[in-house]
Amino acid sequence: MGFDLARFQGTVDEELICSICSGVLEHPVQAPSCEHAFCSACINEWLSRQPTCPVDRTPITSSELQPVPRILKNLLARLTISCDNAHCGCTELMKLEVLSSHVDFCEHNPKRPVLCELGCGLVIPKDDLKEHNCVKELRAYVTTQEKKLSEFHDELIEQQITLSEVRRELSFVKEFLRAMRSSHPAMRAIAEQFEKDEVKRWANTLTKARVSRWGAMISTPDDVLQSLIKRSLSESGCPVHIMEELMRNCHERKWPAGLASLQTRQRQRREYDNYVCRRIPGKQAVLALACDNPHMAEDLMTEPGLVMIFALGIE
Amino acid sequence: MANIAAQRIKREFKEVIKSEEVAKCAIKVELVSDSYTELKGEIAGPPDTPYEGGNFVLEIKVPETYPFNPPKVRFLTKIWHPNISSVTGAICLDILKDQWAAAMTLRTVLLSLQALLSAAEPDDPQDAVVAKQYKDAPDMFRLTARHWTAAYAGGPYSNPEFDSKIRRLADMGIESHDARVALSSFNWDLERATEQLFS
Ligand SMILES: [Zn+2]
Ligand SMILES: [Zn+2]
Ligand SMILES: [Zn+2]
Repeated sequence: MGFDLARFQGTVDEELICSICSGVLEHPVQAPSCEHAFCSACINEWLSRQPTCPVDRTPITSSELQPVPRILKNLLARLTISCDNAHCGCTELMKLEVLSSHVDFCEHNPKRPVLCELGCGLVIPKDDLKEHNCVKELRAYVTTQEKKLSEFHDELIEQQITLSEVRRELSFVKEFLRAMRSSHPAMRAIAEQFEKDEVKRWANTLTKARVSRWGAMISTPDDVLQSLIKRSLSESGCPVHIMEELMRNCHERKWPAGLASLQTRQRQRREYDNYVCRRIPGKQAVLALACDNPHMAEDLMTEPGLVMIFALGIE
Repeated sequence: MANIAAQRIKREFKEVIKSEEVAKCAIKVELVSDSYTELKGEIAGPPDTPYEGGNFVLEIKVPETYPFNPPKVRFLTKIWHPNISSVTGAICLDILKDQWAAAMTLRTVLLSLQALLSAAEPDDPQDAVVAKQYKDAPDMFRLTARHWTAAYAGGPYSNPEFDSKIRRLADMGIESHDARVALSSFNWDLERATEQLFS
C-alpha cells in the first residue's frame, strides 16, 4: 500500500499516485501495454482476484508486470516525506529515497531495540521500556531456562538408559562371537576384525604420550603396581579380550628380544623414541599397541602390545 | 476498516465534493458513519428522461476489502426502472459486480448509475415486470417512471389520471404505495389491479 498523501510536502503529481490505494506509489510496477503504474502490493492483490488492469481492464497477469521507467522512479525519489514515526515525535523531513534507511535508525521508532540500563542487561523494544520490570523479566527468563535444563536432564537420563542397554547387548554379541569363533572359520575372521576395530576405537580415546626418561622404566613391576595399572586400563574402557595379555606384557620376562634385558635396553634406547605411545590415564605408564606401531622392528613389538611402567618422565 | 479502504474513501469523498458534477448538482455524497464504511449518495435524474427533476438517494456500503471489491449500492428512493428493483432498490449494473475495477471510484459509480437512468438495459433486468413494460409498452413505461419520480423523488410532473386511480384504491383502504405498485404493474388498468390486490 502506498504512502499517505498527507505525509508529503507540497503537491504530488497525479502520475505518482496509485489508483488502487490512492497513496503515493510504493515499490511501483507497471502493466506491460497500457503502462498504468501501481504499488506492487496493490496490483498483485488485485490480480489475485481478476487478471486485468484495474484502470482499463486490459488482460494482464502478475508475471507480466514490469519495472517503471527511471524518470518515474526519480520523481518519486525526490519527493519530500515525513518520518513513519512522526506520531511518536520525529519531526524530520527527508527525500523518499532515504526514508527506509532513516526509519531503521530513527530514535523515535517505538520498536527500536534498546538495552535496559537498570541492570538486567536484556534488549527490549523501546516502547516496552516503560512497562519493563527487570526482576519480572529475569524471573521469566530463569523459568524458561529452568524448563530447558530439566528437559535436557530428562533427555540425558534417557540417553544413559539407552546407552546401558546398548552396552549390554554389545556384550551379548561379543560373547556370541567368541562362542562362534571356535567352530566357524569365516566367523573367526569377522570376530578378529571386530576385535581389532574395537582396540583401535579404544586406543583413539587415549591421549598420545611421550617418554622422556627411558631409563626410568620399571621392568619388573610388583603385583600391587600391576593391579593399579590394570584398574586404570579397565576404567579407560580397555577391551576385555586384550586386557589380560596386555598386563602380562608389562614385565620383562614377556617382552620381545629388543627389550628383554638391561643390556639390550641400554643399547637400543634411541630406537624406543620411535614408539607411538598412549598414556594410561592417571598413571606413569604408557601403552605401545601393536596396531599403533606397525613400523617398529619385530624384536621391539609383540601382540597385542606392550605396557611400560615408569618411575617418572611421562608427558 | 482496513487502512487502504479508509484511505481510498477519504480521498474519493474529497474528489466527489470537488468535482464539477457537484457544482452542477448532478451528484452528491455524504458520510453516514465516521468510519467511512457507510455513505449516502445522491444523483439527479438526467434531463430528457422520465427521471428528470428527481433526486435519487443511494445507500453505499464500503466493504472491508474495498477497492478490491466493489461498494454495495442500492437505491433508497423508490424508482421505476428495468435494472433497479422497484421493491428493494437493488441494482443490476455490471461494474457493481464482475466488471468492477479497483481504479473505479465513488464518482465513477455515481456517474455510471446516472448513465443507467439515461440508458436502461431491459435485456439484463433486475425487475422483470418493469422490463416487460419497458419493451412492450414504452409510452406507458415513460409515464409510469415519471409518475414514480414525482411521487418519490420530488419530480415536477404529476399525472392527474394516475393520481385519481390511486385515490380510488386508497378509498378502499389500500396503502397508496401498494396501490401504485399494483396499478403500475398492470399498465394502470384499475380493474386488474383491484383484482390482484383483493385476491
Ligand atoms: Zn497502491
Ligand atoms: Zn524518524
Ligand atoms: Zn531491565
